Amino acid sequence: MKRLIAAAALALMGLPGMAVADGHASFPDRPIMMMVSYGAGGATDFQARIVTMTAGNEDALGMPIAIINKPGAGGRVGWNWFATQAEADGYTLGAYNIPHFIAQSIEGGVQYSAESFEPIANWGADPAVFVVGADSPFNSMADVVGYATENPGKLTFSGAGLFVGHHIAALQLEKAAGVKLAYIPNNKGGAGAMKAVIAGDVLGGVNNLSDAFRAQEAGNVKILGVFDLERNAFLPDVPTMAEQGFDIDNASVNFRGVMVPKGTPQPIIDKLAATVPDMFANSRVAGKMKAGGSPMHIMTRDEVLDMWAAREETLRELLAGL
Amino acid sequence: MEFLAYFGDVFVPVNFGLLLLGTIGGLILGATPGLSPTMAVALLIPFTFRLEPAQGLILLGAAYTSTVAGGAVSAILLKIPGAPANIATTLDGHTMARKGQGARALHLSFLSSAVGGVFGVLLLIFLTPVLAQWALAFGPSHLFWLAILGVTVIGSLDSSSVVKGLLSGCIGLWLATIGFDDIMGAQRFIFHPSVSGGINVIPALIGLFAIPQVITMFAKGRQRLDAEVLSVERHPVGQAVREMGRRTRALSIGTLTGSVIGLIPGVGGQIAGLVAYDQSKKLSPEREKFGTGHSEGIIAAESANNAMVGPSLVPLLTLSIPGSPTAAVLLGGLLIHGIFPGSDLFDNHPQVAWTFINSMLIGQILMCLFGLYVAGLAARVAQVPNAVMAAVVLGLAVFGSYSVQNSMGDVYVMMTLGTGMYFLERFGFSAAPLVLGLILGPIAEANFIQGSMIATATSSVGLYFFTGALNLLLIGLVLVSVGYSAWMEIMSRRYTTKDDAIEKEEALS
Amino acid sequence: MTDLPRSQHIVASGLVAAVGLAVVTISYTQEPTAAFLFPRIISTVFVVLALWTFGKAALGRTKVGNGLDRRAMISILPGLAVALIYVFWAAKALGFYTASTLAFFVLLSLYDPAPHGVGKTWVRRIVITAGFLAVMYGLFAMLLKVFTPREIFF
Repeated sequence: MKRLIAAAALALMGLPGMAVADGHASFPDRPIMMMVSYGAGGATDFQARIVTMTAGNEDALGMPIAIINKPGAGGRVGWNWFATQAEADGYTLGAYNIPHFIAQSIEGGVQYSAESFEPIANWGADPAVFVVGADSPFNSMADVVGYATENPGKLTFSGAGLFVGHHIAALQLEKAAGVKLAYIPNNKGGAGAMKAVIAGDVLGGVNNLSDAFRAQEAGNVKILGVFDLERNAFLPDVPTMAEQGFDIDNASVNFRGVMVPKGTPQPIIDKLAATVPDMFANSRVAGKMKAGGSPMHIMTRDEVLDMWAAREETLRELLAGL
Repeated sequence: MEFLAYFGDVFVPVNFGLLLLGTIGGLILGATPGLSPTMAVALLIPFTFRLEPAQGLILLGAAYTSTVAGGAVSAILLKIPGAPANIATTLDGHTMARKGQGARALHLSFLSSAVGGVFGVLLLIFLTPVLAQWALAFGPSHLFWLAILGVTVIGSLDSSSVVKGLLSGCIGLWLATIGFDDIMGAQRFIFHPSVSGGINVIPALIGLFAIPQVITMFAKGRQRLDAEVLSVERHPVGQAVREMGRRTRALSIGTLTGSVIGLIPGVGGQIAGLVAYDQSKKLSPEREKFGTGHSEGIIAAESANNAMVGPSLVPLLTLSIPGSPTAAVLLGGLLIHGIFPGSDLFDNHPQVAWTFINSMLIGQILMCLFGLYVAGLAARVAQVPNAVMAAVVLGLAVFGSYSVQNSMGDVYVMMTLGTGMYFLERFGFSAAPLVLGLILGPIAEANFIQGSMIATATSSVGLYFFTGALNLLLIGLVLVSVGYSAWMEIMSRRYTTKDDAIEKEEALS
Repeated sequence: MTDLPRSQHIVASGLVAAVGLAVVTISYTQEPTAAFLFPRIISTVFVVLALWTFGKAALGRTKVGNGLDRRAMISILPGLAVALIYVFWAAKALGFYTASTLAFFVLLSLYDPAPHGVGKTWVRRIVITAGFLAVMYGLFAMLLKVFTPREIFF
């Protein structure tokens, strides 16, 4: 009976590659899954689906990548799963968000740190921006800080959660401007935080550049400043925080990329690290990303390793005061 | 009337083919346990990469429309609600199917879905600017009161005992707090690694409804063949149409409640069906028949959860804010083609916007026709012998709960909750209020915390939660709902004896 | 109606009340306070209602719930055992499709009223099981492309 079922099942499967054990030369010989720790439709999910859409091409991995969403608690649920339960066989990839997971590991209460993961490549960099409603009296960061100086602790502004890029940006702003602000974390991510700004539940908000760009196009918000080292190609008219006199670097920029769990065989990591950046550089991918208003920033594994280490250091310093 | 100008586009052969494909595919996906409309639409996104924007959206819009209705099929025939929206449908729909009237239940459900759905899309077409303001009016304090209003429905959902209904609701509220807290990121009640990510609503839903069902079938043992074969009544569509005509109260309550509540970002879709069910029960002269396979229950629930489809897209299409998870996925489908929802969509891509909306309108009708066509056949599921049915439902429950996020932990949670629920049900607890607690808990908590953070920064908690017309209106509704339930409880005590209650339960199980 | 359901009701509501007390204790002792504010409110209501139910059960005033009867429990036992082994062990260890097929076949053999001594009914069971496997595979593997844990045989 068992053999019958096995035979039937094999026949149905069309006998996919049976040579699994020896070496990793044939990797990948079955479809790959990629875990995204935010919900379907969020910015990370949207971009992950685009950058992996050409994975099945012969010049990329030759096998499709399927996206699996494990949302919850600002990404903690997904990364906890990835660090503790995902199989380290190269068929389970994960999307990372810097500075989110590093900040959360510094804060504690999670089962991962930068040590738990091996980066493969980076695909995007989405800076945080400061937005206010379209009818807001604030027209520059100086107005915002001015209000906060007169009303300490009363300037409410939304962001996607605690210990994510938006929260880091908020902390940097408080520190650089020397004022006390009321950061309201939202449980529905960037979209929820944006709704709070547009509906006037809060006076302002920190949000993703890509989402804010769209909301500005729709005429719903004004973007007052970018939390990055230089102006962004999507928003050439919006000054950076440094230009407006606040000493804020790019520590809150949301870098997104692909990683695997620690313990994945080195040959597989090398193979992925060699192919994936080229896959991201595909012109169809670039076209769709641009259409969706998502800035791309491709980095190789070595560059990402350096970036992780640098972020870890700055974040430890910034969060030490909390 | 701009939408009329683009009606022709829907009937271009390629577009119409996609519409049919989306509708039929959506019904099948919707009827699959574990596949919520959000998942179904997300699965279809890759297919739209190569299509024109309007064509891609036709496929997605049709699929969204019909997965919501398709969820009713598994709710009625298998007692597995495909999504939270279909919970209320199981209450009367499945009971009706168990009496051999599965075809009638399906007919009523598809007809009322179509009526509600068309109304919802028409609202989207004609009242979008007004509705957008209404959707934005709900801040944290209002959403908190809305969630509390949902909780008060609990007491009357479970007809046999208000206290046990509330207690079931509390168990659900507690289960919802397991895992990481959404705002602070603190870990709560994690006593087993399977729940470290919290309890996902869909696997919980499958477990709480399907597993007690499976165990009840086990309890019947090896019955003789002739004892269990159920005669399935044939049910002409005309009769269902006439019945709809007689039940205009339930239909209009369902449609209106669904479209009003469906608008509210983040809350609407999940509770529209239950609130409509509750309202029409409270206003019906035949309220004691609810829960025993009464047609008003199905009509109210299904018209409400399809009426919410159109309005739930208002915040997305006008303000570029996805109001529901499904809308978020649709946003991805638009962005991939470089189209930004908002004024850009209607000004610069009217053929995309209106073709999409029109396709949902036509999709509702196609869905209804197709559903009515297969209802008679699908109802034969009730004739499947107990043993086969139990094994099939168990298998579907396992696969369905796993496929939500490829997690074994979800399967364990599903089975544990389901087995526990069977035993709780034997002692008068029920699944519907428990699930409602599970859904509303996070909404109430997150909005309470956000609201009080905003309140402490600006004014005071009391002022923030207890002033303003909308807050007061919602508080008033909460009080009315509680008062009404209490009054009904006292009234029913007079003539409900222990024996009556047992008799009623025997009839149900 | 003997006293059996009454004592069962006491045990059942006692268990629920015990869970409630545990939840209340945890909620009021864990840190950080801000994250446990909501659980405190819920668990307090939970415990009050659970103790009320327990009190009613102890006084024998429970109106609803038929309790468990012996005959039904005996019928449930083998099926529930198979279901639990299937979900908690076999699905992961043997692979979803293998385990589901086996569980399906065993459950069918246990609860199908057709006689066990006749060869023809076994053929029928195997055919139904194969049909089930084909539908599940078609739906979840081919159509929805769900990644299930590795099968033991392939």
